[in-house]
Amino acid sequence: MAKNNNKKVPAQANGTSKSLGTRIYKYRGFYLMFLPVLVFAIIFFYLPMLGVRYAFTNYNGIKTPSFVGFDNFEKMFNMPGFWSAFTNTLEISIVKLVLTTFVAVVVSLFLNEIINLHFKKVVQTIIYLPHFLSWVVTASLFSLILAPSGYGLVNTFLVNIGAIDSNEMIYFLGSSKWWRGAYYIINLWKETGWQTVIFMATLAGMNTELYEAASIDGAGRWGKMRYITFPALANTILTVFILNLAKVMNLFESAFVLQNDAVLDTANVLETYIYYQSFNSGAIPNYGYTTAVGLFKSLVGCVLVLVCNQWSKKVREGRGIV
Amino acid sequence: MGKKKNISAFSIINGLIFILICFIILVPLWKVLVDSLDLKTAYGMKFWPEKFGLDGYKLIFMNPTLFKAIKVSLITTISGTLLALTLSTLGAYVLIQWEMPGRTLFANMLLFTMIFSGGMIPTYLVLRSLHLTNTLWVVILFPALNVYNLVLMRNFFEGIPASLYEAATLDGCTPMQTFIRIVLPMSKPALASIGLMYAVSYWNDYTHYKLYILDSNLYNFQMKLRGMVMGSELPTTSGGASENTVKNAAIIIVIIPFMILYPFLQKYFVKGVNIGAVKE
Repeated sequence: MAKNNNKKVPAQANGTSKSLGTRIYKYRGFYLMFLPVLVFAIIFFYLPMLGVRYAFTNYNGIKTPSFVGFDNFEKMFNMPGFWSAFTNTLEISIVKLVLTTFVAVVVSLFLNEIINLHFKKVVQTIIYLPHFLSWVVTASLFSLILAPSGYGLVNTFLVNIGAIDSNEMIYFLGSSKWWRGAYYIINLWKETGWQTVIFMATLAGMNTELYEAASIDGAGRWGKMRYITFPALANTILTVFILNLAKVMNLFESAFVLQNDAVLDTANVLETYIYYQSFNSGAIPNYGYTTAVGLFKSLVGCVLVLVCNQWSKKVREGRGIV
Repeated sequence: MGKKKNISAFSIINGLIFILICFIILVPLWKVLVDSLDLKTAYGMKFWPEKFGLDGYKLIFMNPTLFKAIKVSLITTISGTLLALTLSTLGAYVLIQWEMPGRTLFANMLLFTMIFSGGMIPTYLVLRSLHLTNTLWVVILFPALNVYNLVLMRNFFEGIPASLYEAATLDGCTPMQTFIRIVLPMSKPALASIGLMYAVSYWNDYTHYKLYILDSNLYNFQMKLRGMVMGSELPTTSGGASENTVKNAAIIIVIIPFMILYPFLQKYFVKGVNIGAVKE
């Protein structure tokens, strides 16, 4: 867990010879400086953790919670809505992760081949840009561009090239058939460029002598890309992949702002499911039930992080991700 | 000779592909800009406004509730960024005191929050019981402790030579004085990078408002934009501007401050990623 514990050997051993009290007194100023961080961590992270006890109660937010054991979990596993949200979360997150990482690697490899540095810089500035737009802005942009009317850019284009008829325009974000494809493309548009930053940093730190040696050995452009550039990236690719795999359960905002009632069968993920069940169901909310779903989500996420951590330690010479 | 020619052909095709990629990224933004300035919205593909006019922007700026939303965005972004930077630098500085009793406990306590969380509903219930919901405090305070950025900051602090701290301590500086006089001035690049990341996330915040704030007087501009695009909060259109013109103008207003600053700030954002990458 704490990756740096054994890395720094204490510089002087004099600290250990003194009593714990003396050492604590010596660091009193630091404890005071850590106090605000501690307060924030307790209030905003640890108090909510205690709140997972509601998962075992019936609680509507007003009356005192009544203990019901594992009823909420039983209800959850019998709900088709829950299972579809669970599988949607995994499918959407993982496809998105694989797709974005793959395209970012390809883009980085070719970006690395641009010789004109000014052009390269302009390209980088432009492709990083969408990462900084909020999901609300991104969803607004694309709901206008993908609109199923003469106003929507994509549909107009498809009509113009004769791919579709003007009276059968596609409602990309409003039909279950198209929603996921649109979601992946929007994600690629927004995040691919930024994903290349880390790969480009790795390539910038590479030993250029390798290329020279390869040239002397008669390696062409593709040979160098295949046998030098890509292997140099492999470790970083795996690291990025593992880091992001640990977070796949957290999908919320991007799905939330792009979905609507018509596509919930393919677009509802666990976090949005919890949101609708708690705040939008129309009936009196059962916070006990939605806490149980959240707890399940957290536990799956937790297992994923720990598995990824072990994996990371294996491939990164002992360095975990947390 | 033949090889050189081959290389330049590749370069040209490669360059053209990247021009196409940049074009794809910019087209949606360009389209929104054009439509926000166009009073005649009938058709999807055009690269210049047909009937130029600023009525869309006028409608937004005449609407007092939208002005209020911009004010909320500014206040929460500025105060949130300062608070978040304070917490990450303080925490990071304490976490590099390797011989401090309890340091490992503190580190593990923070790292554990990256592994397990109470979840959306318990968090909501805690914030509600603290009477933070439906106030701007919740959107300033709640996101302020970001453990990931705190660790990035710690990685940066580790690179500052320890001799500097020791010299300051010998000169009689208290930890706080060393922090303010030595650590912070040495950390300007990291403060800029991580501060900008915080600023962007506060400015772009939608989730925390959506979850914890009901009072529309406390909405930031992202919330207002969402309301407008969904059609529920559109200012009544009059004169030349159509609904679509107003929606497009609202998007442009949200992103324009960032778009103007972005070319100058880009290098700091990239550096921020590399603070972490150095340690990888």
